[in-house]
Amino acid sequence: MFHVELLVVGLIQGCMYAMMALGLTLVYGLLRILHVAHAGLFTLGAYVGVLTANAGLPIGAAALLAIAAAAAAGPLLYHVVYKPLLDKPPHVALIASIGVLIAMTDGFRLLFGPYGIPFQENPWFVTGWSFGGVFLNAIQIALAIAAIVLIGGFAVFATRSRMGVAWRATVTDPAMAMTFGVDPGKVRNLAFAIASGLAAAAGVLVGLLNNLVEPGMGNIVAYKGLAIIVLGGLGNVPGTLVASLILGAAESFGTIYLDALLDRDAIAFVVLIIVLMWRPHGLLVRAR
Amino acid sequence: MEAYLYSLATFAALNVILAVGLNLISGFCGQISLGHAAFYGAGAYAAAVLSVAGWPFALSCLFGALIAGLLGLVVGLASLRVREDFLAITTMGVGFLFLGFVRKQAWLGGEFGVSNIPSPMSSGAMTVLAMGIALAVIALSLHLNRSWMGRVFAAVAQDDDAAQTLGFDVARYKLAAFMIGTASAGVAGALYAHITQLIVPDAFGFITSITILAMVVIGGIGSTWGVVAGAILLTLMPELFRFVNEYKLLVYGGLLIVVMRLSPDGLAGIVHALAQRRRG
Amino acid sequence: MSLLEVRHLSIAFGGVHAVENVALEVAGGELVGLIGPNGAGKTTLLRLLTGVIKPDAGRIRFDGRDITREPVHRRAREGLAMTHQVVRPFRHMTILENVALATAQDIAARPLLALLRTDRQAARERALPLLEQVGIAEVAERLASEVPLGHLKRMQIARALATGPRLLLLDEPLAGLNPAEAGRIGDLVRALNEGGLTIILIEHNLGEVLRIVRRLAVLDRGELIADGLPESVIRQREVRAAYLGGGDVGQAA
Repeated sequence: MFHVELLVVGLIQGCMYAMMALGLTLVYGLLRILHVAHAGLFTLGAYVGVLTANAGLPIGAAALLAIAAAAAAGPLLYHVVYKPLLDKPPHVALIASIGVLIAMTDGFRLLFGPYGIPFQENPWFVTGWSFGGVFLNAIQIALAIAAIVLIGGFAVFATRSRMGVAWRATVTDPAMAMTFGVDPGKVRNLAFAIASGLAAAAGVLVGLLNNLVEPGMGNIVAYKGLAIIVLGGLGNVPGTLVASLILGAAESFGTIYLDALLDRDAIAFVVLIIVLMWRPHGLLVRAR
Repeated sequence: MEAYLYSLATFAALNVILAVGLNLISGFCGQISLGHAAFYGAGAYAAAVLSVAGWPFALSCLFGALIAGLLGLVVGLASLRVREDFLAITTMGVGFLFLGFVRKQAWLGGEFGVSNIPSPMSSGAMTVLAMGIALAVIALSLHLNRSWMGRVFAAVAQDDDAAQTLGFDVARYKLAAFMIGTASAGVAGALYAHITQLIVPDAFGFITSITILAMVVIGGIGSTWGVVAGAILLTLMPELFRFVNEYKLLVYGGLLIVVMRLSPDGLAGIVHALAQRRRG
Repeated sequence: MSLLEVRHLSIAFGGVHAVENVALEVAGGELVGLIGPNGAGKTTLLRLLTGVIKPDAGRIRFDGRDITREPVHRRAREGLAMTHQVVRPFRHMTILENVALATAQDIAARPLLALLRTDRQAARERALPLLEQVGIAEVAERLASEVPLGHLKRMQIARALATGPRLLLLDEPLAGLNPAEAGRIGDLVRALNEGGLTIILIEHNLGEVLRIVRRLAVLDRGELIADGLPESVIRQREVRAAYLGGGDVGQAA
């Protein structure tokens, strides 16, 4: 029973990772950029959520506002920081991204204080139900549902809608996509908007889960997100989702069984390094 | 006031050693490394453990360099397996792994680190030693760049596959770059441990790795004098401009963005461009 | 004994048989052309020969030694040199420096020993005659990033020559060049072979290939379908069929 509970909690954490990692893999697939600054959008979403909720807005509206804010900020970030760097060697964009993340984290600290802001009204934090012996609070359930709905929605969009197909074409063969009239700029903006929106949703939910929004909350998640997208195969969406869930579960079990040896956050990277040594191209990618 | 200046000079020297070492790996040889602080930390912990156990200072430092170099060898071997894109994340992972491991080891002091590390000489003397080693490392870096090792590094950094087809054992060279760069970080760590006499895991985290990277990038990746300037600048900046200390990370982050946007070759790039324009 | 001996060489990628049971023998002094339609496996075969990829089955012997599993740089040091289809110069170095670097295999065999050596002059002196041999001595001091494609192609050949090879593998050296330039490099290749260098020339430019080679091998869908005198090979039915009903081959002849 204990193991089942560990697994379930781990998978839910994995859902959160999936929401973050999906955005990272979208950006990488399109632009070959390791978008470390993604963490900043996660935290931005969390701050918008907590501030508007504490100002009186119902949590649903606050979450939507957070998603909208991030969905606007993401493409802006692309235009201002990444776009001018597309023709430079890859480490340039990576370093700029790190710069953005550090600046944003410190910016949040300066604006809102280093100690974080709790949700003043957070009844879901203590409400919960028991599912066959496993106790889950409302937020964990919301996280799982949100992940399934949002990612499922994205999958439908990517396969059924015109824009979605255009996006997939651009990822596989940008030059070809352009000859078919796909506007790469629009596709990129959309990718950043979706990625950032997902991150913000995850941010609000994690903020509720911990009942605290603080400046660096997104950072370790983003770093793990990078490990996840490598594990799943850079740019490979199903691989990323699987890797997210695996990591969530691995952390859950690892925290208990590896506690004497390793910090929880290091588990992601142990897994990453071991897997890469065994399969240097990532878990689900077939070597070419 | 004097003690303050000594302290500043000492940390500038340590940062120079770290930045020049990282520049060797990432600048000269093109192997991007986001986990340099792990080698700094490995050297610090290794030296601290030995010193606390009573070993002489020089041997502790050597041991620090050795451990850091060995860790660098391991990471280097790992780097041979992974694609370029993955290297950044793998080295970042190594940094987190080191931290995660050290935090949990009771014999390394866990979260509280190692304290009461004996200081072998006065702080003034330590400053001179640190500066001396920094100068030695700079000299090594300059020599290396002019040597055939430097030329092969440059080829490997540009296009390691092409370098292979010309008969160069690229793997050996990458390992050499890692080992020399990380061993020097180990020396810096050993010095650091004896200067501060207390080391905690948090001193060797991702932010530290990024700070060192910032020094290299802002100074000019690939240029020894550039990264020296970057290291000194970023050490002095928070101190010279008091208000900057409060916004230190904001400024670092901003600088990284601005430098990458305007001059990806850093200060060295700007100097170089000005010199070119003068030559006409 | 042949210089290069390839037996039963095969490799497959996810079900696609890129190279299938290829057998080839090249004697010292030969100039062999290797042609085939797009996707025939020519570049894959080259990558197998140079060691970038290892085969699923088969053997490669170079001068009597089994090199099937040897790493790339070892093969290069033993005398197997190549040029790349898409030029890969070291852009931040000058043309001379590019070639000079290639002469330093021995100096730079061990990193720590290479650290001790700073002498530049000898390498430059070895490189300059090579630049003259391929005809680009006048751009010696220009940066590789500032030099036109034809010169870069020659630089790649000079760089390959700098390693003192016994077998030179040229991967489409004429691609992207105008007919005059292609002709000049074709002449260079023939001259190098007449000087005693064994060369395998992978090319799409059939006109030039037929002009300079004395033996022609044809690859199609991973298999070697013809190997012999150029005049007879191009008349073979399978070869004409491989090129979509004999169009290209017929016209080139």
